[in-house]
Amino acid sequence: MARVQLENVKKIYSGNVTAVHDFNLDIGDKEFVVFVGPSGCGKSTTLRMIAGLEDISEGTLKIDGEVVNDLQPKDRQISMVFQNYALYPHLTVFENMAFPLRLDKKIRIHPWTEKEIDGLNNQIKKLQEQRDAANEKKKAAIDKKIEFIRASIEKGKEVKGFTNDEIFERVTNAAKVLGITNFLTRKPKAMSGGQRQRVAIGRAMVKDCKVFLMDEPLSNLDAKLRNQMRAEIILLRKRINTTFVYVTHDQTEAMTLGDRIVCMRDGFIMQVGTPTQLFDMPDNLFVAQFIGAPMMNTFLTKLVKDGDKYYVDLFNRKLPVSGVKADGLKAKGIQTRDILLGIRPEHLIVAKDSGEGTIPVTIEVNEMMGSEYHLHVSSEDGTKIIVRIPTINLSDKERENMVPGNVINLAFEPKAMHFFDPDSEINLLAGPEAVNSKGPIILPSEREQV
Amino acid sequence: MERRSMGMAAKRRTANIITYVILVMISIIWIIPFIFLILQAFDVGNPGLTGNVWPEKWGLGNFAYLFSSESNFLRWYFNTFIIALFACVGQTAMQFMMAYALSRFRFKLRKPMMNVMLVLGMFPGFLTMIVLYEVLNSLGMTSDNAVPGLILVNIASSGMGYYVAKGFLDTMPKSLDEAAEVDGATKFQVFYKVVMPLCKPIVIYTVLTSFMGPWGDYIFAATIAKGSQEGMNVATGLNSWLSTANIGGYYKYFCAGGVIVAIPVIILFLFLQKYYVEGVTGGAVKG
Repeated sequence: MARVQLENVKKIYSGNVTAVHDFNLDIGDKEFVVFVGPSGCGKSTTLRMIAGLEDISEGTLKIDGEVVNDLQPKDRQISMVFQNYALYPHLTVFENMAFPLRLDKKIRIHPWTEKEIDGLNNQIKKLQEQRDAANEKKKAAIDKKIEFIRASIEKGKEVKGFTNDEIFERVTNAAKVLGITNFLTRKPKAMSGGQRQRVAIGRAMVKDCKVFLMDEPLSNLDAKLRNQMRAEIILLRKRINTTFVYVTHDQTEAMTLGDRIVCMRDGFIMQVGTPTQLFDMPDNLFVAQFIGAPMMNTFLTKLVKDGDKYYVDLFNRKLPVSGVKADGLKAKGIQTRDILLGIRPEHLIVAKDSGEGTIPVTIEVNEMMGSEYHLHVSSEDGTKIIVRIPTINLSDKERENMVPGNVINLAFEPKAMHFFDPDSEINLLAGPEAVNSKGPIILPSEREQV
Repeated sequence: MERRSMGMAAKRRTANIITYVILVMISIIWIIPFIFLILQAFDVGNPGLTGNVWPEKWGLGNFAYLFSSESNFLRWYFNTFIIALFACVGQTAMQFMMAYALSRFRFKLRKPMMNVMLVLGMFPGFLTMIVLYEVLNSLGMTSDNAVPGLILVNIASSGMGYYVAKGFLDTMPKSLDEAAEVDGATKFQVFYKVVMPLCKPIVIYTVLTSFMGPWGDYIFAATIAKGSQEGMNVATGLNSWLSTANIGGYYKYFCAGGVIVAIPVIILFLFLQKYYVEGVTGGAVKG
């Protein structure tokens, strides 16, 4: 069990700069949680507070139900992988990985070997012989000794720290998993970035830890290696099976690795949820635009309730709302109002003709990405829109049409439209816990007090 | 084109020749006193200042005199060695602890403290000589007891020479310390298991400089020894042989003593020069 609970955790730096505001999160046992957000959003600070490398200004941090606010990092039973690997340059890879094991001086119980038990039994025999010859006073003392030896046979051998054999076994096992067995005698200087990061992960793996912390472990690697290591972290996670907290600014990493994602901005949690939740149902515009690439398109426009149905009035054209979104709006009793319409580039469809529910746009830039086109288009009033079109279903003629200057018609996928309040940028369909992303951030708890 | 490059090469050659001639001349001028000293040290003719360069009679008699019970040379040598040894251990420890604290920990008055030390360091140390003498005198650490006094003086203010070490420590990523802490090290373990091994070149540089200071020190040692044969260090002692009264009888012994003084320093540098250069540039360039 290793649950990590953050309750009203705050980080206030000298000069009254608040880096993390009122952070509340309950990380379950063996959960993989990713903190994601732009730089300076407080994600690393939060992670470092969990690690004990930063003091917690206010609030409590519990690991396994125990408050650890004032514990040193070494006493928190955590492992951490740093962005710049932080390998010890003067030690070989093997010694780097063995470092935490050599420092661990905890007493562990090992079973006695048969030979040792024989030895202890002999000792008891000798003591019994002595006892027979001794006087009353000495007898009691010898009895005590015999009792002690018997108890320790029962209990097992107490060993301080790890033996060399154990260290060797643990390090070589970890090296095998990470595929760095051949480098164990090298110094970190003689290794590539990817190999170094593996060593750093290995060093964190060998230790018995409750929580595995990773601070942007892949951001120093090149793109190709990053993809490969990402897949390896997924495999690693299955193997280690402990609680993970992972910090990244890369939304792809967040989406692919996390059981839950914590999206942060300016020290506030913007939304906590599964990758699907964040993608399909962002609480506010910030989350909507941070998750997904290219960024979600937005239009300041009007949502109209027409009898039982809803449509969006965009560029004087009616875009029908249907499916889940329409049901949601109905359930919330939303009337005709101004909205910020959001739609992801992949949810815009190139329509065959300029029929009902489409808007005409002019192609400005055409980015061919191989598997897809990223079209930068502009509407009649000059609004910039990005469209993502998979190439696989396009005919040659359609491809020829995708050139700058051409006019195409876009249809909006009705299920995938997002409606935000223009003032607070909160999703109209979000629950009461949603946080605004425009203006000064008011947490839901504070909102109720007002 | 061809002609021009030829001209360039010739020009460069002339410039090189001039440079080397100047350099060779400078080194000859520089090295002459040393050669003179060594030659005189082996002259067993008249022990006084005779004015000849080439020995009248070769021999090791001067050295033998130094190590005989007739002279106090061994006493002085030993005094100096003790002072230098303690000073070098003490100074290195002080400077590194100081540098580590100033580089890694953030505390109130850290910056003002560094500024004050910088300003204090700008005053020549000799300004404090009279006061230091009075202080040591009242503690009974002068004349015959000058050795502990000199050790104290050498160690006491050494923390102020933290700059080079701090410059080096500042270049070491802080995440190394943090990684070690997460791995289970105490602050002290971080210092001696991670930081110190990485500082090897700069430690050696500090050891060397802090050994050299008291080894060649004259002014402080002379002031505090106050003419006591027991408390003199080797520089003060040898210098006493150059006084008007002594120079006529001791000059060659002085030269032999000079050679002996140079030997440990030369050995140290031969072994450690690789680190010495690394240490000097390591702190400066990277910082």
